[in-house]
Amino acid sequence: MLQVQFYSLLRLLLKQEKLELPAVAEETVEQLLSRVQQQIATPFLQKLIDCDGQLHAGTIILINRQNIHHLDGLQSRVLDGDVIAFFPPGAGG
Amino acid sequence: MKGWNGKLLRVDLSAGTCSVEALNGQWAKEFLGGRGLASKYLVEEVSPETDPLSPDNKLIMATGPLTGTYGAANGRYMAVTKSPLTGTIASSNSGGYFPSELRYAGYDMIIFEGRSEHPVYLQIHNNKVQLVAALHLWGKETQETEDAILAEFHGDAKVACIGPAGERQVLFANIINDKHRAAGRSGVGAVMGSKNLKAVAVRGTGGVKVADPKGYRDAAMEAYGMLRANPVTGEGLGALGTPVLVNIINQAGSLPTRNSQTGTFEGAEAISGETLAATYLRRNKSCMGCFIGCGRVTKLTGARFEGDGEGPEYETLWSLGAACGVSDLAAVTKANYICNEYGMDTITAGSTVACAMELFEKGLIKEEEIGMPLNFGDGDALVKMVELAGKNEGFGTKLAQGSYRLAESYGVPELSMTSKKLEFPAYDGRGLQGMALQYATSNRGACHVRGYLVSPEILGLPEKLDPAATEGKATWAKIFQDFTAVVDSSGTCLFTTFGIGVPQFAKFCTAATGEDFKDEKLLELGDRIYNLERVFNLKAGIDPAQDTLPKRLLSEPLPEGPYKGAVAQLDKMLPEYYQVRGWGDDGVPTEEKLATLGLG
Repeated sequence: MLQVQFYSLLRLLLKQEKLELPAVAEETVEQLLSRVQQQIATPFLQKLIDCDGQLHAGTIILINRQNIHHLDGLQSRVLDGDVIAFFPPGAGG
Repeated sequence: MKGWNGKLLRVDLSAGTCSVEALNGQWAKEFLGGRGLASKYLVEEVSPETDPLSPDNKLIMATGPLTGTYGAANGRYMAVTKSPLTGTIASSNSGGYFPSELRYAGYDMIIFEGRSEHPVYLQIHNNKVQLVAALHLWGKETQETEDAILAEFHGDAKVACIGPAGERQVLFANIINDKHRAAGRSGVGAVMGSKNLKAVAVRGTGGVKVADPKGYRDAAMEAYGMLRANPVTGEGLGALGTPVLVNIINQAGSLPTRNSQTGTFEGAEAISGETLAATYLRRNKSCMGCFIGCGRVTKLTGARFEGDGEGPEYETLWSLGAACGVSDLAAVTKANYICNEYGMDTITAGSTVACAMELFEKGLIKEEEIGMPLNFGDGDALVKMVELAGKNEGFGTKLAQGSYRLAESYGVPELSMTSKKLEFPAYDGRGLQGMALQYATSNRGACHVRGYLVSPEILGLPEKLDPAATEGKATWAKIFQDFTAVVDSSGTCLFTTFGIGVPQFAKFCTAATGEDFKDEKLLELGDRIYNLERVFNLKAGIDPAQDTLPKRLLSEPLPEGPYKGAVAQLDKMLPEYYQVRGWGDDGVPTEEKLATLGLG
């Protein structure tokens, strides 16, 4: 199973903290995003990626707390047992 | 002069006099305003060796040439002085409405000098300026003080004041304006208290004239479009405010927990922005001229604690929460209110309590001395300790000195999570190497808003850097530090830099003042300010050996999280940083470097 966690605006928008999905072999983060969207009625992908399918500046997606920027970006693979966290752009100080 | 009002107020508290002076036009061109220009005045008028709490120290409240305009979140001012907490030059920034009102009254800055024999406060109504007795306000909390002044002076006045902590010279006392905004760090409120100055109340009915109204309007429209389109400034900061960072930084393994013994807090979710939004948050709030609205208006109801106010912000959720191992959001929120009402920096307050908790758990402080147990995770004890610190009584007299002096008094200064005696904010330097360098080299001690490398290292803005890498961080630190000095000197909120950059600030400053502030000239101006501060610190005895971090960060690896095993690799970055700065290998600015900046 994969555990998908929603944070920040996504949690306010979707009114849920997480979602569990069965793992799919060879799946990338990009494919996982589409699969999660298919299971949730409220459109949310635009909070994370732009119309060209690229991550917004400031979007953070973590696989087991590792930022996909330091893996293979949206082509990073997700594996059975992974925890994937979605953070739309946010900041502070 | 355009952009600048061209006038400053000089208030001699010893003599009880107020006078108006022309702003030094040449200095204004070289140091812009706010942090830069006030630092120039301080360097020229205050010996670096001055006792910060003596009448010889001065307190300068300074706006920038953009303060009070409609450019982009231009509601800021700086309180500049020599810090009683750190001994360094101090400059603490605040927003709200007070800074703009000072500009509308016709002044760019106020210089307070000397010490009043009795408590006073300053009333400004355009060109009518007077010191009035404040004995009846002495002892009042910050919000009570503001209410009393509005009732007796002018209902539309804007007020900056100290609370009981500043009066009692708690070394991390702050200055609160508009009831909830704080010039928070470095103990600027203690300096104000040492001068027997309770408050500044200002009513201004003028405006701000810019040199090129069309150019300014064009710059404002461009910046507005960029900030609106940016997901952070256009939506994220308004929706969840700074507390959104709690979960982000915790996931990154860099949320300093239990006095930095680890970087992951198991109770983070309970004190997160998401939880705050679902519990005590009532609405968001903006400073003057800002559509971002990152402020959090909250109300605490329940059997244990009551109150209302603004915050806690991210730094406070961390300092009073994770740093103390406290996941009790009600207690954290209550302690935040107490800090604001007494007028104390929440970062140093929380970090000092965290240090005391570790000293207690290690058996170095006995329960009899404190009057109660002080274990990590105890929210009720946290609230009590913060209150005692604000009153500067009982065990609070030790807390009121900040964590460095507290830990030093028990023979273990290394347990103070500070650099140059200023407590770290909410990012563990072991997980973010750039921030480690920034902490070590910041001119006011460990600080996040002197060069927010969290932005590239965690948030990916303007581009994503590897937080674990050391390569190139020296250059990034210098650029961020210099640009931040410019923003701080312009009168603009640092949060705008998530959406706009140097070119936009160059357009704003040029159109406002009529001076030619090209991109590179603006960054050179930031470099000049940074070197000015550095030289003051060196003369004050803050030698380059203090460009360092506590042993814990340098040699105790993070025990868990994505950066498990990491320590701050300062030795790999500091020599390069000195080189990038154009300083000698010893960390001292060379004569050639200072000459190129006009500081020779």
